Amino acid sequence: MIKKNTVGSGLLLLLIAGAVGYGIGFGLDALISGGTPKLAGAVPSAFALLFAVSAFFFGLYGYRGITRGLVWQVVGTLLGGLFVTGIRALMGMTGNKLFGAFFFSEPAWVFGALMGVISFLVGVGVMDDWIKWARGIDTPEHHEDKPGWEKYFGVSLDHKVIGIQYTVTALVLISVGGLFALIFRTELAQSGLQFLSADPTKFNVFNQTGPQFYNTLMSLHGMIMIVSILLGISGIINYVVPLLVGAHDMAFPRMNAFAFWVAVPAAVLLLMSMVLGGFDTGWTGYPPLSSRAPVGVQMFFWGVFTAGWSSILGALNVIATVLRMRAKGMTAMRMPIFVWAAIATSIIAMTATQLIGLSFQMVSFQRLFGMGFFDPAKGGNPVLFQHLFWFYSHPAVYVFVLPGLGVISELLPVFVRKPLFGYRWIAMSSLGIALVGFVVWAHHMFTSGMNEYLRVPFMYSTMLVAVPTGVKFFSWIATIWGGKISTPTPMLFVLGAIVVFLLGGVTGPPNAMVALDLHLHDTYWVVGHFHDTIFGGFVFPFFAAIYYWFPKATGRRMNEFWGKVHFWLMTPSFLMLTFGMMFIGLRGMRRRIADYDAALGFDNTHLILTICAFGIALSVLIFFINIIYSIKHGEKAEGNVWNSRSPEWQVRSPMPAHNYEVPFEVVGEPYDYGLADSKYVEFSATAGKKH
Amino acid sequence: MTHKQEKSSMLSQGVFIFVYLAVLTVLEFGIAITFNSTVLLVVIALVKAVLVVYYYMHIYKLNAEHEGDEDSYEYKSGTNRIGLWLFLVSDSFVFGGLMVMRINLLGLTHPHLDQTLGLIVTGVLLVSSFFMNRGETLMANGDRKGFITNTLITFVLGLGFLIGVVFVEWPNAIAEGITPGSGPAGAAFFMMTGMHAFHVLTGLIFLLVVLNNARRGLYDEKHYPVEAAAVYWHFVDVVWIFFYPALYLIGAIAK
Repeated sequence: MIKKNTVGSGLLLLLIAGAVGYGIGFGLDALISGGTPKLAGAVPSAFALLFAVSAFFFGLYGYRGITRGLVWQVVGTLLGGLFVTGIRALMGMTGNKLFGAFFFSEPAWVFGALMGVISFLVGVGVMDDWIKWARGIDTPEHHEDKPGWEKYFGVSLDHKVIGIQYTVTALVLISVGGLFALIFRTELAQSGLQFLSADPTKFNVFNQTGPQFYNTLMSLHGMIMIVSILLGISGIINYVVPLLVGAHDMAFPRMNAFAFWVAVPAAVLLLMSMVLGGFDTGWTGYPPLSSRAPVGVQMFFWGVFTAGWSSILGALNVIATVLRMRAKGMTAMRMPIFVWAAIATSIIAMTATQLIGLSFQMVSFQRLFGMGFFDPAKGGNPVLFQHLFWFYSHPAVYVFVLPGLGVISELLPVFVRKPLFGYRWIAMSSLGIALVGFVVWAHHMFTSGMNEYLRVPFMYSTMLVAVPTGVKFFSWIATIWGGKISTPTPMLFVLGAIVVFLLGGVTGPPNAMVALDLHLHDTYWVVGHFHDTIFGGFVFPFFAAIYYWFPKATGRRMNEFWGKVHFWLMTPSFLMLTFGMMFIGLRGMRRRIADYDAALGFDNTHLILTICAFGIALSVLIFFINIIYSIKHGEKAEGNVWNSRSPEWQVRSPMPAHNYEVPFEVVGEPYDYGLADSKYVEFSATAGKKH
Repeated sequence: MTHKQEKSSMLSQGVFIFVYLAVLTVLEFGIAITFNSTVLLVVIALVKAVLVVYYYMHIYKLNAEHEGDEDSYEYKSGTNRIGLWLFLVSDSFVFGGLMVMRINLLGLTHPHLDQTLGLIVTGVLLVSSFFMNRGETLMANGDRKGFITNTLITFVLGLGFLIGVVFVEWPNAIAEGITPGSGPAGAAFFMMTGMHAFHVLTGLIFLLVVLNNARRGLYDEKHYPVEAAAVYWHFVDVVWIFFYPALYLIGAIAK
């Protein structure tokens, strides 16, 4: 019998429960479908997956925290679904025209999914204190975590634990999204359909043929990556911002925990969408296609809706923290520059996110209740959806990149030993990008058939974004100029980020031009441009931040050699990938298609792109191994590893539970590297009480 | 000013603001049924919203000073207040989005609804906001009993509003042929009132929690939850200040 919670027992239970779940699902499927169960059918796969994941966490952690949350989510989903199914049966409604294999109808699935999310949150225990408060019971302000790894699998109120939970979840989702990309990238390596066959007898996974499954993977690659990016930036912001401003925690620790935990059932819903028939709309979910897609699209809608709450509440918390909990003497213009980036990104995330939630909710209601918001046959307007959707989804890319650009500005002075050039300009450019970002959304819709007089103003407002972004580039170059540059792994990723983001930046304005965009719209050019901006603005800085702050979190350094291998393998692969995408895009390669005509002559390029994609995957695998190895066996690094002026590096790593044991006071400018006798912070017992 | 005078002046301020709001609502209705000027209706809604945001929701409290050190109850309440207002800003983007949807789909028309019922539910919500403000003022002056009485009235009126919209207005509209699936007017009407009713419901739950804790003697000078419940309740009222003309008054009746 397994006695101790370990990874080994978790994996053992995973295998056993996966097999048991598969058996149960297979039997059920045989019952439902009348004796013709499919080997990779939805029911067996779903049961195997649910059993396996829950059992893994059970073996690892026991029946508490995340295990309990997942079990409650499954039970909540089933009970919610049964409830609606029961009511429908009483009203004489049966059957499910959209998804025949499973006995739940679409409303039952939606209600079940929402109940599942709520059950997860109650089960994991993140609402315990709020429920106590509502009943008039006071709780201690700070809960102490037990030392060790176990705190990461249950509810913790410590912002550093939550930051790591966010980051690890983001990395897990990045691998899932990346895996999806590898699958469809492999299919694209050659023209013609190879293993994602259109013939249902040859390829049938979750009731989807090859091209349908391609669409599902392609759509989910987009949205899972977006969610993982949102979690990734939340991870960095959560870990770093309270340390940078000298707070003992975030302003609302319970809401902070809630914002993280609500993202977990959201990720489960997103993955459920693949099992429940998938969907073929792309990550944008435009109606009318999304109002006719299989029931999987509903799981996608509500998964995004739930993940949106994570983003909104997290952002709100960041703003309140920075407004209220800064150390003594930290005026607005003496905040670390990353804090400005976090503020700018939070302003967008807190407000605009509501619009994507609303637009998806409205499509969901259109499907459930026949409300014709976007249905022209009922007097609705499909273009309205695109306006509501892009009002979030364009600023969202600034949510993704602003923290990354903040990381670049934060790390650059440390590694060139020079003051950051134009601090005020960088701070204001972050806000500028955020605010201009609110008025550019319709540049995604030049071909949508919206009013033509809207095109030109949106073209100009879009090009205006280049101004504050350009300010950042000039500042970075001026900061590097004449500095004493050293290139440990974080700095390599910072430099890589600058180069890649520049490529993403200069390929942007062509898309903004109405005349050019009519040609470029929906081609691989756009895909290449987008991946450049996101790798430059998020992925590279994210890796830089992990390499940079890893010693702070663990007291050990990551392996420098393998970090450099990671960088030198990923960067050329990635540059080749996006150059290739833009190259064939300009020559007419459409995006979001499972196959292309061999006569176009793209076969060789696509093969190279696929090889590059595997190169990136290999480099990220190296990164994962490095991170797991370094947690236990990395070189000890408890001091100021990077010789930084930033407050968090002035104390020993890893950080104690409530951060600074002795509070600090800001007495100088943050980035005066290389200036004699200048100090940023001073630690003293009297610095804490500022009001 | 002595404590007692301050209390009575705060209470009479609540009455005055209520009278202004009531007069403006009647004026709004009058304009709608006579010469129906969209501009005037929008202006009146904005004035009403500003009155509620300033005098009932006390937005100026965000700017408070002298809150003591970081561990004091005042300072923490100030942080909570900022958190709540940031949430309201975020939430108003939902309602803003619904308004954009309504303007895009319906333009200068509104669904064919029962005007009397609309005016009644609007009035009920307005009166509930008045009693909420009164209850909060009494609590701030240490009168827990007065708070409970007034908040109970608020709760009953709020419940009345909810019943009026969901169990009277909705069946009425469906009987008139305005259903969720009947067209843009029905879709906009049910989505907007539904989303608002959901917020009223959460506000009612919030009021119940506060009432229950007050009954058990939990609040004294430390009564931030009371203020939070009141501000949230008034916010729900502000949303209706815009939704009422948008759904009942502006423009001609949609076909």
